[in-house]
Amino acid sequence: MSVFPPAALQTQNLVLGYQRTTIIDQLNTEIPHGQVTAIIGPNGCGKSTLLAGLAKLHPAKQGQILLDGRDIARLSPREMAQSLALLPQDGVAPDGMTVADLVRFGRHPHTGLLRQWSKDDQQAVVEAIATADLSSMADRPLTTLSGGQRQRAWIAMALAQATPLLLLDEPTAALDLGHQIEVFELIRQLASEGKTVVMVVHDLASACRYADHLIAMRTGTIIAAGAPKTIVTPELIHQLYGVHCRLIPDPVSGTPIIVGVQRSIEKLEE
Amino acid sequence: MDRLSMTSTSAAHDVSAPILFNGRPAGLWVLRFGRFSLLLDRRAWLASLLLLLATIVLVGLSLGSGTVKIAPFEALAALFNQGETKTIFIVRDLRLTRVLGGGMAGAALGMAGCLLQTLSRNRLANPDTIGIDNAATAFAVASVVAVSTTLAPSAMALTGAITMLSLTFALSGGAGTRGYRFLITGLGLGSICGAATNLMLARAPIDAANTAFPWTVGSLNNRSGVFVNLLAWGVVVMLPLAVIVGKRLNLVRLPDAVAQSLGVRVNRLRFFTIVLAGSLTGLAVAVAGPVGMIGLAAPELGRRLAGPRTVPIVPAALAGACFTMLADLLGRTLFSPTEIPVGIVTALVGGPYLLWFLLRTPRGKQL
Repeated sequence: MSVFPPAALQTQNLVLGYQRTTIIDQLNTEIPHGQVTAIIGPNGCGKSTLLAGLAKLHPAKQGQILLDGRDIARLSPREMAQSLALLPQDGVAPDGMTVADLVRFGRHPHTGLLRQWSKDDQQAVVEAIATADLSSMADRPLTTLSGGQRQRAWIAMALAQATPLLLLDEPTAALDLGHQIEVFELIRQLASEGKTVVMVVHDLASACRYADHLIAMRTGTIIAAGAPKTIVTPELIHQLYGVHCRLIPDPVSGTPIIVGVQRSIEKLEE
Repeated sequence: MDRLSMTSTSAAHDVSAPILFNGRPAGLWVLRFGRFSLLLDRRAWLASLLLLLATIVLVGLSLGSGTVKIAPFEALAALFNQGETKTIFIVRDLRLTRVLGGGMAGAALGMAGCLLQTLSRNRLANPDTIGIDNAATAFAVASVVAVSTTLAPSAMALTGAITMLSLTFALSGGAGTRGYRFLITGLGLGSICGAATNLMLARAPIDAANTAFPWTVGSLNNRSGVFVNLLAWGVVVMLPLAVIVGKRLNLVRLPDAVAQSLGVRVNRLRFFTIVLAGSLTGLAVAVAGPVGMIGLAAPELGRRLAGPRTVPIVPAALAGACFTMLADLLGRTLFSPTEIPVGIVTALVGGPYLLWFLLRTPRGKQL
């Protein structure tokens, strides 16, 4: 039953929700090691809730989440923060903060009251900023950066956390095309260096192009999971979004692109 | 081909190379002793030093002023038992309680304001709005209107503050998002206490109402030494706790989800912060009564001086001490021998000061 390489994260009959509402019901899935996983689905399908659940921001109502085989409910916040970093959608930093100030926060799970800044901490921050290609602007205030640079600064903060797992909630929302590519290429680079990345993405073409593994969700359940080329079909798109379309391969990357999206099937067949 | 690569290399040298990041935190001092290391914010330390000097000057001025004038230096020396016996007596036995009470109450309110503002990411949150001082006032006034002794009002004020803190927690069921639920519950309960105070004053005989009056505006006149000592010890114990909590609160300036995923127990931190701020406020109010504006203005000045990297607990404490001592000094000397209660001075001076401070700040600042 167990696959090789083992899953970085695994959910078992996971139920997530708030007081009386259930958002995610009996979910079983696996996040493969060292790959980019994209969670896709319509608005309100529970993508962000699942991501927050994986990061232990909401406790599981039932079932469990295994991180390298260990139940995350038993891990301390510090242990959790040393193995998994999360970037939520709304990244608003306090005023006057520079890139380096922000990235330093990423070292919090590795520091203590009397160990506030070791050489390792410094090294990790230098590397994180270099990976995000921000070395020349490390001491600039965040407000003076472009949207893409600012998003890379947040990613650098998560990198400084030095976790094997990185969860990103719509990392390219509100970015223009050029800045989106900047961020996606950084994510690919991280995966090639061995990080496991899970991201919620709205744009299907980007999800197909930059993810190794897709999880398609609708109303709190998974309706398909696997490599983009194998699972993305016009039927899946219809199931997810209630629209009809055709798929053509991207002439460059070969990954599926959606064209001719229509609400009724007749127009598509004309 | 060789020439081409040569020129491109020299061209690369000509272009002024961007200064690459070496990881040394800008604006911070790094101290390392073996396995241990400290990260100190340069601006916050300089601000604290500056405010400490101001505090010492104000202590000297406050101890020196009164019917018998003493030079500030002499007054400070007398504090350490140096100088004439008479001077030492005046400074240590007659004036110290009042100055210590004012300074410590201001420090406590400054810290409480700094904690609450950072927690709620709202610069208008402060000890005045959480209802604790209204409750303390109501209890103190009740004790004055009913029985009149020197100790009772302070004890009752502290009882009121503790009752209010517990009641607000019980009713709000925890801190809520950014502590808002707690703050709003305190605001509501506080206004009930305010109404009760007014009702008692309206129905009390005029003499009793007169005696109770200082408790409704905040005054440092004739305060019980027992409670001043209690407050001083409270501040000494809670200052380091507040500094530690402040370091954590710095992370809560990031979005909650980020702080949580960095390993901060956000809910527990909120609870600690409110208990700490509430205790500091309660002790301050038990000594000085509801001195307004300090908890609002002191953190503002602290933040302005200490810069954006830290939660300025120590600067806010020192600024609060300075403001309160200065206000009391003005209240005692401006229209002497008539004395204006410190709370009226802070409201008169603090209100416009704060308006100016807030209005000249660019909008949309994020704490």
